[in-house]
Amino acid sequence: MPTDKHAGHSGKEGSPGSGQTIQAEQVLLPDLDSNLERLHRFLGGGEDIVCRTLEHRSFNRTRYALLYIDGIVDGVAISTMLLGLLEDANASYTETEGAGEPNLYRHLTERSIAIGKLSDVNTIEQAGYAMLEGCSVLLVDGCLRAIVMDTTGGETRAVEEPSSQTVIRGPKEGFTENLRTNTSLIRRIIKSPDLRFEYKMIGRQTRTNVAVVYLEGIAEREVINEVHRRLDKIDIDGVLESGYIEEFIQDRAFTPFPLLQNTERPDAACGALLEGQVVIMVSGTPFSLIAPVTFAKFFQSSEDYYQRYDIATFLRIIRMTSFFISMLLPSLYIAITTFHQEMLPTSLLISLAAQREGIPFPALLEAFLMEITFEILREAGVRMPRIIGPAISIVGALVLGQAAVQAGIISAAMVIVVSFTAIASFVIPAVNMGIAARLIRFVLMILAGTFGLFGIMSGLMLLLAHLCGLRSFGKPYMMPFSPFVASNMKDVLIRVPWWAMRKRPTNIASDSNKFREGAGQKPRPDQEGA
Amino acid sequence: MVTLRQMASMVIVFLMGSSSLFLLAGKAERDAWMAVALGVVAGFAVISLVTLQIQRLEPSLNLMEIFKLYFGKIIGFVIGFIYVLYFMYKCTRNVREFADLSIMFLLSDTPLSVLMLLICLIGCYAVMGGPAVFFRMAEVLLPILLLIYFLIYILLIGTGTVDLGRLLPLLEKGFKPVWDAAIPEIISFPFGEMVLFLMFWRYVQSSNFNEVIQMTLKGYLFAGAFITVMNVVIIASLGPLAGWSTVPLLQATTFVALGDVFERFDPFIALLFFTAVYIKLTAYYLGASLALAYLLGISLRIAAIPVGIGIYAGSFWFKSYMHQVNVGFEQNIKYQFPIFQMVIPVLLLIVMLLRSGVRSSSKQGQQSQPVSEDSHHAN
Repeated sequence: MPTDKHAGHSGKEGSPGSGQTIQAEQVLLPDLDSNLERLHRFLGGGEDIVCRTLEHRSFNRTRYALLYIDGIVDGVAISTMLLGLLEDANASYTETEGAGEPNLYRHLTERSIAIGKLSDVNTIEQAGYAMLEGCSVLLVDGCLRAIVMDTTGGETRAVEEPSSQTVIRGPKEGFTENLRTNTSLIRRIIKSPDLRFEYKMIGRQTRTNVAVVYLEGIAEREVINEVHRRLDKIDIDGVLESGYIEEFIQDRAFTPFPLLQNTERPDAACGALLEGQVVIMVSGTPFSLIAPVTFAKFFQSSEDYYQRYDIATFLRIIRMTSFFISMLLPSLYIAITTFHQEMLPTSLLISLAAQREGIPFPALLEAFLMEITFEILREAGVRMPRIIGPAISIVGALVLGQAAVQAGIISAAMVIVVSFTAIASFVIPAVNMGIAARLIRFVLMILAGTFGLFGIMSGLMLLLAHLCGLRSFGKPYMMPFSPFVASNMKDVLIRVPWWAMRKRPTNIASDSNKFREGAGQKPRPDQEGA
Repeated sequence: MVTLRQMASMVIVFLMGSSSLFLLAGKAERDAWMAVALGVVAGFAVISLVTLQIQRLEPSLNLMEIFKLYFGKIIGFVIGFIYVLYFMYKCTRNVREFADLSIMFLLSDTPLSVLMLLICLIGCYAVMGGPAVFFRMAEVLLPILLLIYFLIYILLIGTGTVDLGRLLPLLEKGFKPVWDAAIPEIISFPFGEMVLFLMFWRYVQSSNFNEVIQMTLKGYLFAGAFITVMNVVIIASLGPLAGWSTVPLLQATTFVALGDVFERFDPFIALLFFTAVYIKLTAYYLGASLALAYLLGISLRIAAIPVGIGIYAGSFWFKSYMHQVNVGFEQNIKYQFPIFQMVIPVLLLIVMLLRSGVRSSSKQGQQSQPVSEDSHHAN
């Protein structure tokens, strides 16, 4: 946990913080018992609050107390420290002159506590909030300050392979729920002194730690400031996931398109950092936010950069195509079968007409029935207990698909269209962009059912106008296409080899530091005398 | 803010606009393409000598502001308002064209009023976004449109539909029919329509107006070449039939058949044409809304509503597609449009040159403006 906080944080903590009436902070008093009592009262008691009182053999037998909240602290660290404290308490120090309160305090901090990171607090609130973060607090009788020791720890999930953004080739590490683990994953990849982590605390009750990560000199200053400004404005009870923050800081509220990217892959986050984007990490979720982002970014997978460029280009084109298929195919089917049958080859038209002969519904209704059925199946697939998975697939595939065709409710062609659309929508690497395509699909289906191809085109024009108006942290969403940036096009529809991508994405990264690699690195077989 | 590239894209898409629907200069028959080329050259003169010169003298003002500055408040307002009506009328024609052709080629049973409403609504949505958004749309669309046109030409050539022999003999009846077809018709449609850009040029982000002039003229020449090539393709594929066809290029594509699979893809081609028409009508819609917003001192979003309603209502005025085309090609192009595209701009330019005192005082007032604008669109 970012522990540099308890010391410097008092400004924000006491202030509108809890949303109740502003109370004056309670300063620590010389009397240990009253301090302990007030600290207990502040934390509301509870069995998990551990208080251990000690008495030192020297220093006039001064009493002191160790407090922490069980479960969110590192047990090993606590026992090691306690062992050290007890050993120290039993030792007698004769050489210390003028035994008194400040001396025991100094003695403890300088000679006794076996914890790396210590800090001072002087109010009950600061001590209490530090304990809530997972720190241990040492109160010394007769002392106006308390020692805060960073013992953050406890049970967290181990670093595992990301479950939602998988790759075939590439690192298998994923972010976890622990912010410190996540920052360390980034630190381990980018070992640059320019890497900056700036911490914030958002949420009146949850007091969630949020880290703004960027590379100094590569990220644009204005964007960083804007990120800070928008984050500072958030005033909410709790932040349980980065999605809470996303909705507060995106540029436009009413849009189906994601204006921030999320990733649970440290390598993807580092790639974003190296291109001058800012990463916002939220404690309690493996999903970090990336800003600013453009439309084309959602079709890039981190694997694109690990595989050869020709393969990556091919896969990227497949993804773009899938996006359009997932958005357009059902509406095109509806439009063509309803309004423009002449476009179909005669043999296909006859076979389609034969299939549709007994179908009681118009194509639009048929498509809606199937699409909604599929969306329900998909949602069921996410929510259901893992064990009954096979049952759902059998019901979904056999009963709903095949039986509906045999019963003459749905034409076989429609089942093909809907299944293909569904599979295409899984190809898009960013789930939130896939959902946008799914939502738009329904609107386009209605337009296609009423106005045919004309309706689809109207819908696409509206969509284009909408997309062209979007911005992500001030950057135009359609960036490499409009405003057109030639050098950025190297990594949009195609991916050129790494040695050809000398420039960082212009307009996203800071202008002062444009090149990310040396010139003339194209492999030349003859040069090395092979 | 609008980049130079976006502006050039808009010039090209705008000029492609509805001109791809007709055989321009059809009266010159197989020499029509020469008339078009002549029109490009003549239009080039008009734009570079008049329209762009007006803007060059006042790079940071729009047409309405220039009228007000040089003609005074009242006359300026009246002329400005007439221009609003002109832009609206042009838009009306495009809306009607769009809707009528959609009924003809795509949706035979849909009521005209519904289609026109839908067109006005999608136009309105783009207008509400403002010029920056609209110009970005043109930049995204242009490469797609050009690619599809390129494919069409390849298909037409590949299937042997294009036969350049149909262009021969050149100048069979002498040069006169070519000249007659070109002047003033081709200047006023489509090339003289560039007068609309007097509403847009000031949004272009550029340190030096000469860059704007250059890019505009480049875009213009590209569009001119494009339209001339299209004219050649139409005549070479259809021959004398081109003059009678409602949408000649669409007619030509119906001859294309790839194997037994792709026989009729003309609905897609129709959509392609309509995309350009949509951009054009929205450009007029936006121009009228910007002008009205300035004249009445209201925001663009509010001005777009009365303008949209006016355009929708006005679209009902034509009795049929033929009536609309006839009014356009027989009357407007010859008599009304040149007034707006040439007469008033020339008058304005003369007044501007004579009243240079007004200009210099206004220049000083705008000294600070480019600076503040730069910081404005830094992000």
